[in-house]
Amino acid sequence: MVRSKTPLFLLAVLLAPALVGLVVFRLYPIALAVSDSFFNMLRGNQVFVGLDNYVALFTDSAFWKSLQVTLWFNLLINPIQIALALGLALLYVQKFKGVPFYRVLFLIPIGVSLPTAVIIWRIMLSPDGLANGVLNIAGIPGQPWLTSESLALYSIIAIATWKGISYWMIFIIGGLQNISPEIYDAARIDGARAWQRLIFITIPLLRPTLLFVLVADVSINFLLFAPIFMITQGGPADSTNVLMYEAFKSGFIFGDMGRAMAIIVVVVAILLVIVGLQFRLLNGKPEKK
Amino acid sequence: MQNTPHALKKGIGFGLKHVAYIAIAFIFVLPLWWAIVSSLRPNTEVFADIFPFTAKALIPSPFSLEAYQGVFDRGFGIIIANTMFVAIVTMIGGLIVNGMAGFAFAVFDFKGKNAILTLIIISFMLPFEAIALPLYTVTLQLGWLDNVAALIVPSVANGLAVFLFYQFFKEVPKDYLEAAKLDGANWFDVLVRIYVPLSIPTCISAGLLLFVFQWEAFLWPLLAMPSQQFKVIQVGMAAFQQQYQTIWNQLFAVSVITALIPIALLLPLQRYYVQGLASAGIKG
Repeated sequence: MVRSKTPLFLLAVLLAPALVGLVVFRLYPIALAVSDSFFNMLRGNQVFVGLDNYVALFTDSAFWKSLQVTLWFNLLINPIQIALALGLALLYVQKFKGVPFYRVLFLIPIGVSLPTAVIIWRIMLSPDGLANGVLNIAGIPGQPWLTSESLALYSIIAIATWKGISYWMIFIIGGLQNISPEIYDAARIDGARAWQRLIFITIPLLRPTLLFVLVADVSINFLLFAPIFMITQGGPADSTNVLMYEAFKSGFIFGDMGRAMAIIVVVVAILLVIVGLQFRLLNGKPEKK
Repeated sequence: MQNTPHALKKGIGFGLKHVAYIAIAFIFVLPLWWAIVSSLRPNTEVFADIFPFTAKALIPSPFSLEAYQGVFDRGFGIIIANTMFVAIVTMIGGLIVNGMAGFAFAVFDFKGKNAILTLIIISFMLPFEAIALPLYTVTLQLGWLDNVAALIVPSVANGLAVFLFYQFFKEVPKDYLEAAKLDGANWFDVLVRIYVPLSIPTCISAGLLLFVFQWEAFLWPLLAMPSQQFKVIQVGMAAFQQQYQTIWNQLFAVSVITALIPIALLLPLQRYYVQGLASAGIKG
């Protein structure tokens, strides 16, 4: 550290743009969401209504249904994505002839944005689409993937998972490369089988990485918006109406910004609680560096 | 000859391994492949060869470029140019702003540094979607609604990019700095002549992150540009989908263009992108 004479002016010039940007466009909106959730628009004026938006929310069955959809969606998609991303990462780091070619193919969905994936999959999953065509070979009748109340949510999970796992795989690869090969060599000499090495060495040593991926993945999926907006708009029969879409609907379709902000505050609060619990439960021994 | 059964077993294992990898790779490639193939067919032929399914569904025949022609006739060229503009300006601005901040955090010691760094790390863990709705109100207050500034400025300062630069600059030996100071170089010279050239790989990582972030932005441009005078690609594509539900080959053509541009950028530079993300994951 060059501690002797820190040029304060220079320091301010270097830091100001980034810090101002983060404060104005990251921190301030959060504060604004909280404060706006205490107001309602009445005849073009913002009127302070205290906790009314929250009270209305908690007595609204549409909100509870939406919360239920959001939680169920996340309970499924996050473990699925992380398990598949781990599997894919384990395949990615194998070393044999031909692997570099497969690696490139595994990375392809990263370049495909979620809206692009949605458009392609929406047509693939349409009644005459490729998915039903392939099922037809096996004699399975076509399914209404995106228009049935019982399937739409799971189709969205599948689409988001297809797009997401390569991205999470990258983080896990980073973690895998940090595990020294000697540990595996030692385990191999002791006669540990592949699945034993996975459960007793790889997963415990990957814990910090997996925790990061879990937290980041939950944060993204909790706020997932594009597929619902583009395919189902919350339907059929609200079966895909996650809270993020409910908030968008309140604010930008029904013009009720107070309710929208209250939902956002609730979503972020739930998210923070979940992330906090994940850290407590999965971080193990408190490690301070 | 004791070797033969062993070699055979190994050969079968090798074959099975490839079959498994091909099957998995197929799942990743198939949707994009079908999109490419279908974008190269006339619209009436998109669903041909699917019922009953034949391998012909996976080759572009009959071949036609009408979808791409149609897409550009509908103004997607401008939309691509718009998105490129937003992404490149954000990238350049972001590299300067976040690089400077990362440099300051790495080289100087000051009060509250660790607290601010922690805040920055938290800021990039919270997805943009969480603040998109209140950010709309901020944009209203600034009078930036329907202004390109609303797309660019909020995305320039990026916690992850600051963190990447901080990580990198922290590892640069301080000797460089001391030597340069002894030679009487000023701070600006030190930054531009020593740190910037050293940090090119980090610049590529952070630049890709910023570029891809803007290229893929959907919810924010949807909210910030209500009149859609200035369209960016993801929103333009979604609007196109709602408007022309059944012009499948053009929908596919738009998807293919939207996907191939970042893929063309990421494939040759994947090492940097992967490194950028992975180091954030490990240290964060």
